[in-house]
Amino acid sequence: MPDLRPFLVLGLALGGVFALSGVGLVVLYRATGVLNLAYGAVGALGALIAWSLINDLGLPDWGAYLCAVAFGGIVTLVYGILFGPPLAARDPLIKAVATLGFTLILLGTMSWAYSYQAHSLILPTTEWGFDLGEVRVNGTQILGLGLGLVVTGAAAAFLRYTKIGVAMRSLANHREITATLGVPVRRVEAAAWLGSGVLSGATGLLLSTLVGLDIVGLTFLVIASLSAALIGRLESLVATMAAGLAIGLVQACLTPFTSVGPYRTMTPFLFAIVALLWFGFGRGRLSTA
Amino acid sequence: MSVADESPEAGVTDRPRASALALLSSIERPAAIRAGVVAALFLFALLALPALVSTFWLQIATTVAIYSIVTLSLALLVGRVGMVSLGQIALLAVGGWVALRLGFGTSLPFPLMLLATGLITGAVGTLIGLPALRLSGLYLALITLMAAAAITVVLQVTNFPNGGSGFTGYSGALAGTVSSSLHRPAPLASSSAFFRVAVVVAALMFLLGVAHVRSRAGRAWAAIRQSQPSAIAAGVNVTLYKLWAFALASFMTGVAGGLLASSAGGLSTYAFPTQDSITLIAVVLMGGVFSFWGPIVAALLLKLLPELLRNWGLPPDLLTILFGLGVLQVMLTAPAGLAVQVPKDLANLSRLIRGRLASGTAAE
Repeated sequence: MPDLRPFLVLGLALGGVFALSGVGLVVLYRATGVLNLAYGAVGALGALIAWSLINDLGLPDWGAYLCAVAFGGIVTLVYGILFGPPLAARDPLIKAVATLGFTLILLGTMSWAYSYQAHSLILPTTEWGFDLGEVRVNGTQILGLGLGLVVTGAAAAFLRYTKIGVAMRSLANHREITATLGVPVRRVEAAAWLGSGVLSGATGLLLSTLVGLDIVGLTFLVIASLSAALIGRLESLVATMAAGLAIGLVQACLTPFTSVGPYRTMTPFLFAIVALLWFGFGRGRLSTA
Repeated sequence: MSVADESPEAGVTDRPRASALALLSSIERPAAIRAGVVAALFLFALLALPALVSTFWLQIATTVAIYSIVTLSLALLVGRVGMVSLGQIALLAVGGWVALRLGFGTSLPFPLMLLATGLITGAVGTLIGLPALRLSGLYLALITLMAAAAITVVLQVTNFPNGGSGFTGYSGALAGTVSSSLHRPAPLASSSAFFRVAVVVAALMFLLGVAHVRSRAGRAWAAIRQSQPSAIAAGVNVTLYKLWAFALASFMTGVAGGLLASSAGGLSTYAFPTQDSITLIAVVLMGGVFSFWGPIVAALLLKLLPELLRNWGLPPDLLTILFGLGVLQVMLTAPAGLAVQVPKDLANLSRLIRGRLASGTAAE
């Protein structure tokens, strides 16, 4: 039995980030019915922009990171304002396919502007760390896990206790009736787009440190977060977080086993497929927003 | 639950009643013209094209023919049944793997090998679609995306068979020494002969698609696309016909994979990224999912246009952006795609110009 402790740390950090982005996906889906498949691409472009600001323009690190997070929020908000309302009455499938168009625009932009060289982005928190027994734990790993937990709690509290949060939940039930009740639907939806976008920006930065700043890799890590969101039935934030952590842990802990190690990146997909089978044939009910 | 809510057939039944003769001629003349155009194009591609273009462009044309089968399969799923699959490129890779495995492991003749590849890939695709039939459209799309990502991971570890031993048929020692391309029988060895094979197989697949759409299956699909509850109420076996559509699309994609495995250069695991499944749905939607011209336009967008851009010294990344904009445009304004929209726009334009000219002469 190989020593799993270093992989536990890696897995919890990665799982925290999966949870973070899963929560971003679920909050947006609950409020607007849009499953934003461009989530990963937004984060990746944000991280690349931060890289440019630091290396080409010489901006201080923290300023660049703030810009990346703000970029995530703004570009997602702009998409939401432009394409949210015209597609609002359509099937969730159509809304999701439209975000694939958005994904392609971002992917094309990134590979056009950035594919000439390899990039790397290391958050300064990585330099700070402490030893836990024989395992070195760095600040970014703690940040990943911590943000995952904190954002899940904050989002749950936000949806439960604030006025906008309650409006988002009622939007999830019925858009037209919510509008009749006098809720400013578009403004509430815009808030969801902005919040989800900010989370995607943060996710992009964390993942580019934890996994690597790779355009296609980061863009499609959204599929892994999507698995967590699906296990949470695109509804439950706590289940999404738990699933994110579980996926991260299993994926990392498979690394030292040579027979299954090379297949470890399949973990999120297998989790999601099993979950969908369970919901399809079991007692579960899936949210259709 | 279809991607586009208005279908071009919608107005067909509202035609005013006319005498039997007029009705007959109104149906038959455009149909005859259309059949003539299709036959002429087919013969041109089959006989004249190989002599007209260089080997490089002939290989591109072969790829276009092969990918038109893939775009056809996805267009059938999206346009006829209203199901979106995001795993078609992964299934194409599965088709390629199966073909190479059969090619190295058995001595089946080429046509039988293609057929067997299609059937096995059809079974794999059906397995993927099976659980999703109980779920709504969005979840079907997601499960195919997950399955595609998983298949991609497996393929990158196992590689394509290259004549090695064992179930995976891959040998690291042989890598680079032999081509991972499938051996074609001697009469098909030249690139022009293989192009003709690809065109003929693609034509057969289109005929298969047309036959399905015009049969009981096509009517059942149309009912499902308009409204699944109404289809169930009307006695349509929704599960059977959805599964049939999935199996048919996977079969077609598998055959295309078999052709791809036998084309020049062979297969590499990096040729089937998940990203391509998204580009594929983009071009299929842009080409149009209701007309059989759509998949051909889509295949040209997907495989010819990047080469043209490269030829003109433009970065092909621009195309990815264009495809993204295309998807959004299709979603918002032109659900029938380019194959229907462009002729309609041109007709509107010519009517506008004719109107201007007529008013101009009237003013004089």
